[in-house]
Amino acid sequence: MSIDNPPTVEVDEPEEPTNRPRPDHELRAWLSRGYVRKILALTIVFVLVIVPIAWLVIHFMNLSGAPASAIMVEIERTMFVFTLVSSPLMAITLAILVYSLVGWGRVSGDEPPMQESPAIRTNGRAVVIWIAATSILAGFLVVWGLIELATITAYANGSTPPNQQPHAARAIDINVTGQQWLWTFQYPDQGNIQASTLVVPVNVPLYFNVTSKDVVHDFWVVELGVKIDANPGAITNTGVTPDKLGTFNIRCAELCGLHHAYMETQIKVVTQDQFDAWVRDMGGKRTV
Amino acid sequence: MSATAVVHETRDVPQPRQHGKPGGFLRHTSIVTGLVSGIVLAVVTYAIGSHFFVPWGTQNADFTQVGLNALIAATYFAWVIGFMAGIGALAGPIRWALGHDLTHDDAEYMAGKGQGKWRYWKYTTDHKVVGIQYLVMSMVLLGFGGFLAMLIRTELGATWTEVFDPNFYNSIIGTHGIVMIIALIIVVTGPFGNFILPIMIGARDMAFPRLNALSFWLLFAAVPPLASNLLLGGIRDGWTVYQPLGTQAPIGMVGYQVTIIIFAFSTGVASVNLITTSVTMRARGMTWNRVPVFVIGVIASSIMGLVWFPMFQYSQILALSDKVINTSFYNPVHGGSVWLYENLFWLLGHPEVYVVIIPGTAALMELMVVFLRKPLFSYKVAVAGFAGVVAISSIVWVHHMYMTGWAPSSGYPFMLSTELISIPFGFLVLVMLGTLWRGKPWTRLPMMCVYAVIWDKVVGGITGVYLSDVPVDQYMHGSMFVVAHFHYMLMGAGLFAAIGATAYWFPKMTGRMLNERVASTGFWTAFFGFQLTFMSMFVAGLQGMPRRVLQFDNAFNISNWLSTIGAYIIGIGMLIFLYAIITSWRHGTIASSNPWGGKTLEWQTETPVPLENFPVLPVVTGDPYDYGVPDPYGPIPVEDTREPAVTR
Amino acid sequence: MRERQGVHVKRFLFAFLTVVIGILVVGGSVVVLHARQAEPAVLEAKVVGTASTPLGQLPHATVELSIYPQSSSTVPGPTTGVNAAISNLGWPFYWPSTTIQLPAHSLVTMTVHQYDSSTTVWNAFFASVHGTVDGTASYNGKPQTRIEPNQVAHTFTIHQYAESTQQGFFVSVPMLAVAANAKNEANGYPKPQDITFSFVTGDPGEYVWNCEDPCGSGYVQFGGGMSQRGWMSGTVTVV
Repeated sequence: MSIDNPPTVEVDEPEEPTNRPRPDHELRAWLSRGYVRKILALTIVFVLVIVPIAWLVIHFMNLSGAPASAIMVEIERTMFVFTLVSSPLMAITLAILVYSLVGWGRVSGDEPPMQESPAIRTNGRAVVIWIAATSILAGFLVVWGLIELATITAYANGSTPPNQQPHAARAIDINVTGQQWLWTFQYPDQGNIQASTLVVPVNVPLYFNVTSKDVVHDFWVVELGVKIDANPGAITNTGVTPDKLGTFNIRCAELCGLHHAYMETQIKVVTQDQFDAWVRDMGGKRTV
Repeated sequence: MSATAVVHETRDVPQPRQHGKPGGFLRHTSIVTGLVSGIVLAVVTYAIGSHFFVPWGTQNADFTQVGLNALIAATYFAWVIGFMAGIGALAGPIRWALGHDLTHDDAEYMAGKGQGKWRYWKYTTDHKVVGIQYLVMSMVLLGFGGFLAMLIRTELGATWTEVFDPNFYNSIIGTHGIVMIIALIIVVTGPFGNFILPIMIGARDMAFPRLNALSFWLLFAAVPPLASNLLLGGIRDGWTVYQPLGTQAPIGMVGYQVTIIIFAFSTGVASVNLITTSVTMRARGMTWNRVPVFVIGVIASSIMGLVWFPMFQYSQILALSDKVINTSFYNPVHGGSVWLYENLFWLLGHPEVYVVIIPGTAALMELMVVFLRKPLFSYKVAVAGFAGVVAISSIVWVHHMYMTGWAPSSGYPFMLSTELISIPFGFLVLVMLGTLWRGKPWTRLPMMCVYAVIWDKVVGGITGVYLSDVPVDQYMHGSMFVVAHFHYMLMGAGLFAAIGATAYWFPKMTGRMLNERVASTGFWTAFFGFQLTFMSMFVAGLQGMPRRVLQFDNAFNISNWLSTIGAYIIGIGMLIFLYAIITSWRHGTIASSNPWGGKTLEWQTETPVPLENFPVLPVVTGDPYDYGVPDPYGPIPVEDTREPAVTR
Repeated sequence: MRERQGVHVKRFLFAFLTVVIGILVVGGSVVVLHARQAEPAVLEAKVVGTASTPLGQLPHATVELSIYPQSSSTVPGPTTGVNAAISNLGWPFYWPSTTIQLPAHSLVTMTVHQYDSSTTVWNAFFASVHGTVDGTASYNGKPQTRIEPNQVAHTFTIHQYAESTQQGFFVSVPMLAVAANAKNEANGYPKPQDITFSFVTGDPGEYVWNCEDPCGSGYVQFGGGMSQRGWMSGTVTVV
């Protein structure tokens, strides 16, 4: 092909505007091209491959007992939804990638290819559709994220998620002190008892006042989906309501020196009676 | 585009008085005099300092060696000053102070004329020499960082014991991080921004040739303080060197701070050079519509580096001051703030990742056109994408600080800005996909790297979407999920793009063809190992494994074993690729001047590129993407009465 | 054709050689660095019989440690591995070793001779005794549940490895300080405080211990010896 012999295509000569092919004919014409169909088919295949990943992601997060709080449920729901809504864009990118390797021919060899590809400089429609699609996706992610952040902030402050029993008791205040390389916990409302593992009753809101005695640590209650830095010279706050009995992990998530890897302890979520017994054993008392 | 038909006569420009032989003082300087001078000055500083100011044995009640940090810092700075003086960096300012101007012969000497291979070991201003120097330096840094990565993965793979002491492990993860970051910042802009870009825009050299040499040799001087930290107790902190943990580290930490302070000057100087060259020294006829997209990418990355690198430098200056003269910028006990450090750090820390990824993306866009024989899809969208990324990258940094408790309500606006930056980044992906669309790929290694990089960008992008969400970050921050995400972006999309650019421009820079069979074997081995390593790492992060830990729960064992095996495979692949580079450089097939059939200006000059790049400066009459045949599905073309873009 | 094949074989061989050299460099470095970082030799608890505890008859083991404020000619301090290069810095240390091995399901009695003066402990939690059989430790013969925060010289705090399926193990005993102006005896150290405490070990597992009293160097004095195995931190293996 060269500039002097344009290919002949059966199209009405666009002499006057009224002869211009109507838009849905254009779309149908475009969809009838072989490569377009194959790429769309590949896209659907990739979407079907990506969608189960959403479940896989949640599966891995739940291996050690998560979710153990409404906040963690929200986090998992977000991961799930984000995977699903991003899948079309990911899939079409991968489809074009794969088809480009197999569908439009390939050239190998030492010399630059003689055959050249169609000189498509731009395609206004594709650009607009892409920008619109990515903007809508980004917009959805933002709106979802903003609403969700407000929701879990409310949960952290003790509000009850819908479909759950309202909390009977007041929030339990816990002062969390991180220091190299241990967590210590103090319960000011239970007579100032101090412990190295966290014992809490189920379905009662917890409010953490977190600080550090030395360097920056990060208080991460893994299966409850709660994390906040422990900064020296400042008190940071977060909160959560555990809604599942069991023993879960607290890990430090900010490198803090020699034994950062060993700065782990446990949170034991027990029944109210067991918690009261524990408080008595530790020499404290309920001051509700 | 090729040389224009008009030949300009060269007139004799009146020269200033020649003082001494051409080159003056620089005739006597080289890396050898630099090393000697640097080491001597460092030793003298240490001797004088320790004798007069820091008598051994003097300690505070808290066992701090009085002034030891200051002494080590002074020693490192003395090394840098001594080295730069010894290699001849001060010759320029001294000459200016003495009122001597450079003659044409001086300039030619400084550009390495007549010195053969020795010019690579001197303070040479020729941008091609500096480009090769940067290429070798990036490979050395990547090799060192990769070696440390093998140590790290060995520790993490040996789940039943501590292979290394935790302090050493903390030091090697931090050193691995900063060495790799420095290597990736320079890996595309250094070799190709310096060697290729001036030729690509039709210039004879860069705007500031002596600053070019300065930027490289400052980087060279900055590396020993960083590398020596492992011998002086290590930095014992991540690459982010969060304070106040950094103030508990032994004297090795001072090396890190000195390195960053000097490296910031190097990048600042290089950025200024690249931007000025690209803006002012384009060939006649190269309007902004005709500038190759690689140049746009380098400009974008240089702007970000120039504006934000000083933040990193300030953070380290304040940290050094805390360590050396007992200030308390970051010491909360005495009124300082840890959040000050975190903000200063991440103000650079975020734009920096775009500094890494933009030049590589631009290089891939450049080479895709050649290997698909079709124009770049929507050049304007590409430029808009780069501009958008540069603009928005400045206002997203707090997403690294969602969990710090610094300003909890800042999560809302920064989540918005972080999601927004995915839009201009998406423009770049659109341009790449649009260029692939209906193109017939010439499946050589540079082109295959494009496929690898787009896949890695997809994975890195989706995982970035997760992390940008504050509630999800509440689980993911500080876990191995983050580590896997940024390795996908920085290594998968950054380093592999650099490998593509290396394979593409190798014939022009070294004059030989890269042995593609061996290089591809190495690359794909590394690519496969990379997927294994970091996909398993995502799983470990999802399960709840924190980062920067050398021992962990048994639940993470399997992921770590798989990651370690994958890492060893990466190591093997990279070694094979290194072998391909070295052997091709030495014995490869001699390359023609345009083996790929490219239309940008660097392919229109000879290989090896002559000292002044072009016998006659070209005049550009069209853009470099004029490939392709009319689209059979497109509208019937109207007879084209414009001047043809290419005059062969 | 044969020549080309020969070239391919040669290239493959040299590429393989490059990989082998790389593996040797990495492997060799791992081995050398691992050896250089050796911690002090293992200190095993001595089993001395059985004892009756609230949990029944258990084997009884003893461990004896000392805490010296700095090394001297009589007590050289930790010199293995990387500690050889820093042994002259005057840091306090646990002696003879920080790598401790204890028998599982046993009553362990630890005796610590403490020669160092005090630095106030930041977190009052560590001025109390935790994890011992009766919640007390015996200070020069007198059982106490806590000492004054400004009388704490060091602590001995065992806590869990990163392995969450291991049995929890938390023992923390503050070490009473000698007076700041105490006179040195013939061996160069003042008369020590003797602290004895007992705890019960559970299942086999690997644990770490460190001192939680700021007696090191640098920021809040948790650097230096506080962050160094062999000095003020170590491992406890229950076998």
